[in-house]
Amino acid sequence: MSVEEKLSYYLTKNKTLENDFEKSIRISILSSFTLNGIEETFKVKCAEKKIKCITYLGSYNQYNQEILNTESKLYQFNPDVTFLILDTRSLLGDLWYFPYSIDVKQRKDFIEKKFEEIKNLIKIFTKKSKSKLVISNFNIPTKSNYGIFETKSDFGLQKMISKLNENLQDFIADLDSTYLFDLNGFVTRYGENNIFDSKQFLFGDIKIALDFIPHLVHDLMGYVIATLGLSKRCIVLDLDNTLWGGVVGEDGFDGIKLGSTPSGNAFVEFQKHLLGLHSRGILIAINSKNNLDDALEVIEKHPNMILKKKHFACMRINWNDKVSNMKEISADLNFGLENFVFIDDDPINREFMKSRLPQVLTVELPKDPSKYAKVLEEMNDFNVLKITDEDTKRGLMYSQQKERKELEKSSSNLQDFLKNMELKVIIKKADSFTIPRISQLILKTNQFNLTTKRYQLEDIQRFSQDDNMIIGCAQVEDKFGDNGITGVFIVQKNSTKEWVLDTFLLSCRVMGREVEKSLLGYIVKKAKEHGIEKIKAKFIPTQKNKPVEDFLPQCGFKKDNDDWTISLNETFHIPDFIKIEEE
Amino acid sequence: MSKKLYDIIARVMDIPISEINDNSSPETISSWDSFNSYILLDELEAEFKTEFTIDEVTETKNVSDIKKYLKVHGIILDD
Repeated sequence: MSVEEKLSYYLTKNKTLENDFEKSIRISILSSFTLNGIEETFKVKCAEKKIKCITYLGSYNQYNQEILNTESKLYQFNPDVTFLILDTRSLLGDLWYFPYSIDVKQRKDFIEKKFEEIKNLIKIFTKKSKSKLVISNFNIPTKSNYGIFETKSDFGLQKMISKLNENLQDFIADLDSTYLFDLNGFVTRYGENNIFDSKQFLFGDIKIALDFIPHLVHDLMGYVIATLGLSKRCIVLDLDNTLWGGVVGEDGFDGIKLGSTPSGNAFVEFQKHLLGLHSRGILIAINSKNNLDDALEVIEKHPNMILKKKHFACMRINWNDKVSNMKEISADLNFGLENFVFIDDDPINREFMKSRLPQVLTVELPKDPSKYAKVLEEMNDFNVLKITDEDTKRGLMYSQQKERKELEKSSSNLQDFLKNMELKVIIKKADSFTIPRISQLILKTNQFNLTTKRYQLEDIQRFSQDDNMIIGCAQVEDKFGDNGITGVFIVQKNSTKEWVLDTFLLSCRVMGREVEKSLLGYIVKKAKEHGIEKIKAKFIPTQKNKPVEDFLPQCGFKKDNDDWTISLNETFHIPDFIKIEEE
Repeated sequence: MSKKLYDIIARVMDIPISEINDNSSPETISSWDSFNSYILLDELEAEFKTEFTIDEVTETKNVSDIKKYLKVHGIILDD
């Protein structure tokens, strides 16, 4: 993972890509310098994730014209994501060499003018195109004519660029479909002396050395993964030699390496990185061949364990094979195998997982535990375009989920269990607070999803302004806590007599509690209030939405050619143990 | 070693080795455009662990020139 191939690998590989795709994306790239090879690299990296990638690379340094001209090839290409990669030399022109040829005021005006120009480009582009826009910030120069005095100069070269970066970041923070790529961070990570190859620059105006193009695309792929809703949701971990050094069954509680000195601190470091991901909404689980008691003793009692029992959404510690355990974890957490990352120090276990469950992302863990944390840092698979409240609360929600499961086990039947849950469904409108989560659910939900229509954040915003559409979501609470916003519906008003259920979905987190019937009941009630006579719905089968297959007939919908309809003259039964509130 | 050089050229230009000779150049190989010449340069420098000067690069017009400058850098190609 941390080992990146040379650009030539991608150029060659691109000639022999297999036609085995599950998703597709149209990517356009605009730049102020030569970025040849970036298209081929995108295609190969996308193909590795079964994404068909269609690219458009703008002409050399023509980004202004491409954005300003409505008829340009850029707009004709109709991209899903557009990358605008600009560099500091092009921005500054001769000021790159002679920044102090103009005075402080002029330098400030210059930066202000450049900021306005870029803002204008962003505004025009986002008005004309539905594409997401990812624009890079500027690499802060490390060279200066002033040498060591640079950092003391008033609005000097470095300050000019950092000020522009800051302005850009503040401006973009409030925009919905525009994102800032930290190119300055990218250059810092790999080093300016590596990224900038003077020979390549002088021959071909190449400002990111050819062999760093793959690294750049790796980072940019984060946006592709997030746009397509392919980000991973759960890290499944081995224990011995993964979360701690040594084998607890042999070395014992006191013999494992986990603490403040090498190499025990490598595992502490790794666990801290995992906890960091957990606290932003990535679940963690255990899949380990071990004696349950030995392992639990470490997890519960070892003073240097960073990850506690409460952090694990699911634990499979037994002598079963890891593939069976992985399938059980997937069933237990109720989401598909493609959402999981598997981390295990043993190459044989990894090979086994890769060959049996290729949907799971099995990480190549280096032999040296001091490099474990770095592997997590460099993964681009956890990227999302928005981090919502639900994300940061997710870890807690899953430990409440464990309590729910225990109640379910102790209840004599499902009805009793549901009655004891004290369920409450709160219906909310699509507004600036709920739209990010609505869009997230629409992009992510596979199982309980009638039509699996994927809409981007911008689409949802448009729908919410449209009088012919009703878009809402449901927050589900029970006595164990808040499940957050876990249901979404979109209704299209076809006529004064008929509504169409365009989208109806439920997060797997609340499936099997009849919440769906309450939610549909709410829509039926609203329809009746509007004098609607029938509601039309569609079930579009996919490989994953079997759980919703019988939902419409169960609720009284009748088959009507390709559609399902329900006449609102009939009584609609909603579960009496769920309270519905409207906000 | 000549084989190693021809292998790299064949891979970068996406042509069979049999089509490469001392006179091969951007004029005779259609895929030998400026971008592929940067890639070729990068590959040669990585493979032979050396760095060519900007003048050497500008004066290289064909495969025979590449061999000449490899020799200047102490890289001996057999056959």
